[in-house]
Amino acid sequence: MITLKIDGIEVQVPEETTVLKAAEKVGVWIPTMCHNDLFEPYAVCRLCSVEVVRGKRSRVVTACNYPVSEGIEVLTDSENIRWIRKFLMELILSRWPNVKVVKEMAEKLNVGKPRYESLEKDEAEDACILCGQCVNVCREVVQANVIGFSYRGIKREVVLPLGEQSDKCIVCGACALVCPTGHIKMVIEDYKGKKPEFTLGPKTSIYVPTMQGIPRVPVIDAESCIHFKTGGCEVCAKVCEPHAVNYDMKDEIVEIDVGQILLSTGYDIFDASKMTQFGYGRLNDVYSSLEFEMMLSSMGPTSGKVLTKDGKEPRSIGIVHCVGSRDTNHHPYCSRVCCMYALKFAHLVCDRTDAEIYQFYIDMRAFGKGYEEFYVRILDEGVKVIRGKVAEVSEVTSSGEYKNQLIIRCEDTLAGKILEVPVDMVILCNAIEPRKDIDAVRRLFSISKSPDGFFLERHPKLDPTSTMSDGIYIAGCAQGPKDIPDTVAQASSAAARILSYISKGEVEIDPVRAWIDDKYCAGCRICNNLCPYTAIDFIEEKKISQINDVLCKGCGTCVAACPASAITGKGFSDAQIVAELEGLLAI
Amino acid sequence: MPFRLNIMLCTGTGCVSNGAFPLLEAFEKEIKKHELHGEVAVIPTGCNGFCAVGPLVVVQPDEIFYQRLRIEDVPFLVQEHFLKGRPVKKFMYTPPETKEPIPVMSDIPFFGKQMLIALRNRGLIDPENIDEYIARDGYKGFTKAITTMTPKQVIDEVKASGLRGRGGGGFPTGLKWEVAFNTQSDEKFIIINCDEGDPGAFMDRSIVESDPHSVIEGVLIGAYALGVKQVYIYVRMEYPLALKRFYRALEHATEYGLLGKNILGKGMDLEIEVHRGAGAFICGEETALIRSIQGFVGEAQAKYIYPAEKGLNGKPTIINNVETWANIPQIILRGAKWFASIGTRGKNGDGGSTGTKVFSLVGKVHNTGLVEVPMGITLREIIYDIGGGIKNNKKFKSVQTGGPSGGFLPESLLDLPVDFDELLKVGSMMGSGGMVVTDEDNCMVDMARYFLDFVQSESCGKCIPCREGTKRMLDILERITFGQGTEEDLVKLEELSKLIVESSLCALGGTAPNPVLTTMKYFREEYEAHVKNKKCPAHTCKPLITYTIDGKICVEKGHGCGVCRKNCPQSAIAGELKKEHRIDPAKCDKCGICYDVCKFDAIYVD
Repeated sequence: MITLKIDGIEVQVPEETTVLKAAEKVGVWIPTMCHNDLFEPYAVCRLCSVEVVRGKRSRVVTACNYPVSEGIEVLTDSENIRWIRKFLMELILSRWPNVKVVKEMAEKLNVGKPRYESLEKDEAEDACILCGQCVNVCREVVQANVIGFSYRGIKREVVLPLGEQSDKCIVCGACALVCPTGHIKMVIEDYKGKKPEFTLGPKTSIYVPTMQGIPRVPVIDAESCIHFKTGGCEVCAKVCEPHAVNYDMKDEIVEIDVGQILLSTGYDIFDASKMTQFGYGRLNDVYSSLEFEMMLSSMGPTSGKVLTKDGKEPRSIGIVHCVGSRDTNHHPYCSRVCCMYALKFAHLVCDRTDAEIYQFYIDMRAFGKGYEEFYVRILDEGVKVIRGKVAEVSEVTSSGEYKNQLIIRCEDTLAGKILEVPVDMVILCNAIEPRKDIDAVRRLFSISKSPDGFFLERHPKLDPTSTMSDGIYIAGCAQGPKDIPDTVAQASSAAARILSYISKGEVEIDPVRAWIDDKYCAGCRICNNLCPYTAIDFIEEKKISQINDVLCKGCGTCVAACPASAITGKGFSDAQIVAELEGLLAI
Repeated sequence: MPFRLNIMLCTGTGCVSNGAFPLLEAFEKEIKKHELHGEVAVIPTGCNGFCAVGPLVVVQPDEIFYQRLRIEDVPFLVQEHFLKGRPVKKFMYTPPETKEPIPVMSDIPFFGKQMLIALRNRGLIDPENIDEYIARDGYKGFTKAITTMTPKQVIDEVKASGLRGRGGGGFPTGLKWEVAFNTQSDEKFIIINCDEGDPGAFMDRSIVESDPHSVIEGVLIGAYALGVKQVYIYVRMEYPLALKRFYRALEHATEYGLLGKNILGKGMDLEIEVHRGAGAFICGEETALIRSIQGFVGEAQAKYIYPAEKGLNGKPTIINNVETWANIPQIILRGAKWFASIGTRGKNGDGGSTGTKVFSLVGKVHNTGLVEVPMGITLREIIYDIGGGIKNNKKFKSVQTGGPSGGFLPESLLDLPVDFDELLKVGSMMGSGGMVVTDEDNCMVDMARYFLDFVQSESCGKCIPCREGTKRMLDILERITFGQGTEEDLVKLEELSKLIVESSLCALGGTAPNPVLTTMKYFREEYEAHVKNKKCPAHTCKPLITYTIDGKICVEKGHGCGVCRKNCPQSAIAGELKKEHRIDPAKCDKCGICYDVCKFDAIYVD
C-alpha cells in the first residue's frame, strides 16, 4: 500500500493506482473528458492535470495516468492548475461551442466566452471532440481495430480505414456507447421488413432467458457477444466479482437413454406478410400478436407501455382476428386461442391507455370456462366489436385529419355496411401453424401428421395423446391448436400414461413380428431402408440384417421385399399360410 | 596490392545530388585510359562533411583536398596530379579572406577545429566494405566487451563515460541502460532511432551512409550488455542510400558471424530488423516510434513509465539514436576516462556533456556541412572558425540550435559553450544537432512562424494543448506577419506558450513554443516593430514592406532606363525614358524583381 496526500487528505491505495483513482477514493473531483475505465488512460484532454509535489520539486502531470508513489502530495486545485484547466477549456470551447458535454464542463470550470477564436470552429451539437474513446474502445476492448485517427495536427480526424465500413466491424456499437457527444450513431437498418426493436430475441448479449425460470441465471449469447467474435472485450469477466463468467462453456449434445418420449414441440405463428392486404412488414405500426405481447410485457422493449413507432400513445387500435386461420388460402382450421387473447389485449390496452379499440372477428368463439363472461366484460368496457373479415389495411398519405393513420376496410356483416376505420395501430391475430421442422421430427419418431400438418394422434377421441409409435406421446399445440388449459390437461394425461408403464416395469408387445433367418440373409440391406419403423439394423460383424422386436410392428413390408425370402412374419410363414389355405379349402 | 594513390570520392547524399556518381565513372574511365588502374584506386566514401563545396575528393595519402569538381575537370586533374604528380591548385579550397589555396584537408579551418569520434571513419573507408571498417579497429570494441568484460562492467563503463543521448533529450545513456538491465523480463529489445526528421539535419543519415558498421558494433555491445536478442532499426523512408548501405552492412556482418546465431562462438544471438518509417516527424519520439513499429498510428504516449521499463510489446526497450550508438564502440575500446576527458563537466561531477557532438551547420554561413566538435566549444567557434562566418558580408543575427523546436540565440550568447544544460538555460536545446544560422535579412517573427508552422503541422494532434494551442499561436503569428497583430497578441503568445509547455503530453509540445519564446525574449523589438509600427525591419514580411523608387537617383544615375518597368510582372511601374519612374503601390505585389534588376540602386525597400 502507498500513502499519499491529495489536497491535504491522506489516502492509502494499492501500488500502480493512478492519481485519478486515488482522488476518487477520497471524493476529490478531477475533471476529465477523455478518460474511461474500460481502457488504458489516453491522456489527451489534459483537463485532469494536477500538480505533484515531491519534497521541493513540483511538476504538472495528468492524474488519469500518473501512478501514485510513496509520500507525494497532489494538488488538484492550485492556482496554476486552475489556470491550465480554464485555458484548455477555453481552447476546447472555442472549437466546439455547442457540444453539450463541452458546455457542461466549461460551466463547471467557470469558463465563459473563450478569448480565442478558432478558425476550425465546428458548431454542430454532436461534433466529434477527438477524445479518442471510440478508437480506444474498439482497439483495446473490442479488439476489432476498425476505427482510427487520420491526419496530423489540427487536421486530425476519427476515420474508418480507407473511409469505408470495414468488414472487420462487428457492429457491436461500443463506439457509439462511449461517444460522449453522440457523434457516432447506430443506424438500425430495416431489412426484410423486420422490425428489429420488436424481435423476441435478447436485447443484449448477456440476458436472463426466462425471468421466472429456475435457476434464474444470465447467459451469454455467443452469436452477438464481442468476445466470441474478436477474442477481446471480457468486460463482464472484469466486473464480475465472484468470477462467475466462464467463456469456455459450450453447447453440448447429451445422450440420455429413455424408454418413452413426450413430444410437446409447440407451434410457429403464421407469417402475416404473406397476406399483403394487411401490410405487415410494410406499414409502420402493424404488429403480429407475439410482437404486441412483447410490447405489453414489463420486460419488453417499451417496458409494457403501448406506443406507436414514433413513440406516441395510440388514439385507436384495431385488432384483426383470423389472420391465416379459417382461410381456405392458408389454414382452414380455427386457431382456437385468438379470440380470447384478442379480448385479453383489448382488456390490457383499456387498462393502460385511453385508446378506442376495434375487434374485427368472423365468429366470436368464447367456449371455455369463464370465457363468455370475459367477452361480456370486454363489451362492457366499451370495446367495439365488428363482425366482418378485414379486407385491407392501408396508410393515409394525404394530409388532413387522418394524416399518417392506418385505415381498416371491412364489411360489417351485421349492419350490412362497408366500414373504413382509422386507427393508429393494427394487431394481427396470426394463425397457429405447425413447426417448420415438424416433418424432420416426425420422421425421427416414425409418427404421422394429420392433413392440417400437426402430429397425428393414435385416435382422435379415444387416444388423443399417444401415437402409432409405442412409447411416443404428444401434447399441446404440436398436436393441434389449443389453449393453455387444454394443453395442461393433455400433457397430464400423457404423463399419466407414461407413469403407468414405468410403474409396471415391463412392456407387453404384440406377437405379430417379422424375423430374419440368418442362414438366408445375404446382407443386401434392401429391407433396412424400407422399414417404416426403422426397426431393421445391419450388423456389420455378421454382415446380416436384424429386426428389433420392440420397434417392429409386423407390417410385413420387409417380408414381401426380401429377395432371398429370408424374412418371415411370425405366425405368417409361407408354410403356415399354405396350411391355413389347405385347411380352408379342405372344408 | 597497395595503391600509390587512393582517391576518396565523397558519395554522401549532398555530393550525390551534385553528380558524384557520374564523376566516379569519369575518374575510372580516365584512370584506365592512362593505364593507372593498378596504381590509383577510386573509393566511394560516405559523407565528408564539407557539403558546401561538393562534389569533392580527397587524394590520400597526402590528404590533398579538391572541391567543386566537374566531369570536364577530370582529364586535366588525372593527367596533372595522378600522372605527373603536380597537385592542381585551381581545384583546391580557397578561403574567401586569404585567396590562397589550401592543399591539405586538415589545414582547412573547417576541418581543423573538428574532433571525430562518431564520424571517425568518414571519408576514409568504403562504407560498403566491412574489411575497411575492420582495418580501422572495427569490431574491436565489441570483441573487447564480449571477451574481457561482464555486462555489468559494460554498463558501468558507459555510465562512467557520461555519454548522453544524442537524439535530443540528452538523457544519460548509461542510466537508461541500467534501468533496462535491472528490469526483470524474459525479453528485451533495442531500437536504433534513425528517424531524423528535423528540417536541415542529416547527422544520422551521414553516419549510416559513411560508417554503418559503427552503429551495428554499438548495438552489438548494447545487446551483449542487456541480453537483447532482437534489434529494430527505424529508418526514414526518405533515406534510400542509408537504407541500402545499412542492408549491405547487415549482410556482411552476418556473413562474418557478427550477427545471427552464436556470435563469435560466444553463444550470443542477435537479429537486426529494419523498419521503415512512413514520414511522420513525431515518430522520432520514442513512444510514438514504438507504436509505429507495433503497427499503430504514431502517437506519443505518456512517459511516466520509461520505455526502458515497459516499451515495445510491454517489454524493456532501449531506444538510442544512431549517433549515440556510433559513440559506444569508441567508449568501450578507448575507455570511459578518455571519453569523459572531452567536453564539459557539470558541477559536483554530474551533469555536464562529455564527448563530441555532430552538428549539421546550415543557413547563412560560408561552410555549410556536417561537423563534429567537442562539447564545450563555443557557438562562435563553430560559426566563425568552422563555418567561416556569415556569407556576403552580412551581419550575424541569430543561430537556432536543436531543430524546429529549438530556440534562436542572439549574438550576445555566441560565447555560450555548447552543452546540454547551458543551451536549456537560455531557452534553446541541443536537440539532435541542427544548427541554423540567420543573418540580418531574416525576420525573426517570420522564422518563428515558419518553425511553428512545421511543428504545428507535424504535431500528431493527440493532445489538446499541442493540437489546438500551436494552431492558435500560428494564427497569431500569421496575423502579425500580415501586419494585423496587436499588442494583446504578444501577451497571448506568451500565455499560449506557457500552457503548451506545461500541459503537453510529449516533448514535441513541450518544446514547440521555444522558437517563439526565444525570439520574443531576444528580438522583442522586431515583434514590436511588426505590431506597433507595422514594419518588418528585415524586409521579409511582404505585406509590411513597400518598394519605392528614389526619383533623383533614377534620373541622375540611371537616366530613367526603364528596366524595372519592363520587368514588372504587374505593370505597376510607370515612367518614360530619361524621366523619373514611379511604383503604383496599389498594383505592386512586392515580388522584388525591380529591386533586383535596378543597376543603380535607385529602388529601396521600407
